[in-house]
Amino acid sequence: MDLVLQLLFTGIGIGAVYALVALGFVLIFRATNVVNFAQGEFSMVAAYLMVVAIEFGLPYWAAFLVALAGMALLGVIFNLGVYYPLRHRTYLPVIIATIGASILLANSVLAIYGPQPQVLEGWFETPGIQLGPIYLDSQYLLIIGVTICLVIFNFWFFEKTLLGKKLQATSQDKEMASLLGISVSTMIMITFIYSAVLGGLAGILVAPVLFVSIQMGSTIALKAFAATIIGGFGDVAGAIIGGLALGVIETFGAAYISVPYKDGFAFLVLIAFLIFRPQGIFGERVAEKA
Amino acid sequence: MPLLEIRNLVVRYGEIEALRGVTCTVEQGQVVTLLGANGAGKSTTLRAISGLAKPTSGDILFDGKSIAGLGPEAIVRMGISHVPEGRRVFPGLTVKENIMLGASNRRASTSEISREADAMFDLFPDIRKFTNALGWTLSGGQLQMVAVARGLMAKPRLLLLDEPSLGLAPVIVQAVFKIISEIRRNTTVLLVEQNARMGLSVADYGYVLETGRIVLGGKPDELWGNEAIRAAYLGGHAKASA
Repeated sequence: MDLVLQLLFTGIGIGAVYALVALGFVLIFRATNVVNFAQGEFSMVAAYLMVVAIEFGLPYWAAFLVALAGMALLGVIFNLGVYYPLRHRTYLPVIIATIGASILLANSVLAIYGPQPQVLEGWFETPGIQLGPIYLDSQYLLIIGVTICLVIFNFWFFEKTLLGKKLQATSQDKEMASLLGISVSTMIMITFIYSAVLGGLAGILVAPVLFVSIQMGSTIALKAFAATIIGGFGDVAGAIIGGLALGVIETFGAAYISVPYKDGFAFLVLIAFLIFRPQGIFGERVAEKA
Repeated sequence: MPLLEIRNLVVRYGEIEALRGVTCTVEQGQVVTLLGANGAGKSTTLRAISGLAKPTSGDILFDGKSIAGLGPEAIVRMGISHVPEGRRVFPGLTVKENIMLGASNRRASTSEISREADAMFDLFPDIRKFTNALGWTLSGGQLQMVAVARGLMAKPRLLLLDEPSLGLAPVIVQAVFKIISEIRRNTTVLLVEQNARMGLSVADYGYVLETGRIVLGGKPDELWGNEAIRAAYLGGHAKASA
């Protein structure tokens, strides 16, 4: 029982990272009807920005803010460079452009920083606290705490503010939104900035648990993508639930079945969902969105 | 000076010439109806005015200023509100939220917009009880009411209404047209209709479009009086009344 609780804690911690990246996927998908295959690279770039900022001698919190500001800027550049020029095209050229951007980002970081994985310290000096039978790692606690705050913020922003409603309107019918005077390009810009910061936050939070490496982006992105499909593609709640579920499943799979096949469980679950419940837990209509 | 003046407007969709030189005017305070068969270019005319379709040539003057080629966001800020064909109510937002977003073309605080949206239900009492219902749960007639209410939230000087009666039961069509006759008290309206009888019943002036050209314009009784026109374009009971 103690082990189960311990694994549950770890699983939710890692799942929260997938949930944040998955949320970024879903928000961009809803705003532009395109899957952003560079979403994982946002996490990787943010982790490197964090490493660089700390090497420059900034305190941890300042490095954190600098990295997030850098991600907001990357969101702007990404929108203007990758999405905006292709916005009147079908989804295919845009998807390919995001794949191209993902390769560019990964190799730019490789060229600048070299292939050796970097180490990023955790936020707290204390490694963790013992709570009865479970050991609560401080970084996982931070990840879970930040994710809870963001989920609440996300709900407030999209459900309670007029700007959130305008973003929703834009994702539901761009032409009608523009007829009402909603600036569609501004709404899409906000979406890209927000998604880049979300992805970046996930990367910074998970970096002390993993190594900071060029590959970390694609690993996280694949899991997060699986999470969005499990949750129901295009659904915000589905992305969060899917991400958490995936984290828990792979942690239990690693503990009880096989550690080397840890990454395999996520995709096993993904395949099972694609066969038996392709619309995911929350059942968005995937077919019409291609 | 007319509020809206369209001069020799040509709109092409690729190879197809949807409008081949449309010229017409809408005077301040009038209700003007554009009549015509399917594919005559009625909707395209409205889409060109609101900026959804780019004119190939010709000009559109609103209040004496050219608006041809401007984007829809800029045009609605100048005071032209377009309620498009098919209502286009946001399915995932509530009725109240849909109506509130109609004010996106002007600066106002959220609480002010919320109050104005509540006041809109006095004009549309039938949808008041659906205030917090999501768009996709409404019927066609209710959606039409929401769409018109949302269009009015822009406080337009010119309201473009595209086929408000399409697909509605006769009693609902009556209700929609009753609202149009309310609106006309303080807003100029350009109305597109296939239902000529209803369209002309509220109009001060009517134009008949045929394959991208205006073939006739006149006061409603003049249009009704012309028997050949009535038979050809208006779908009235030409033989019965002859």
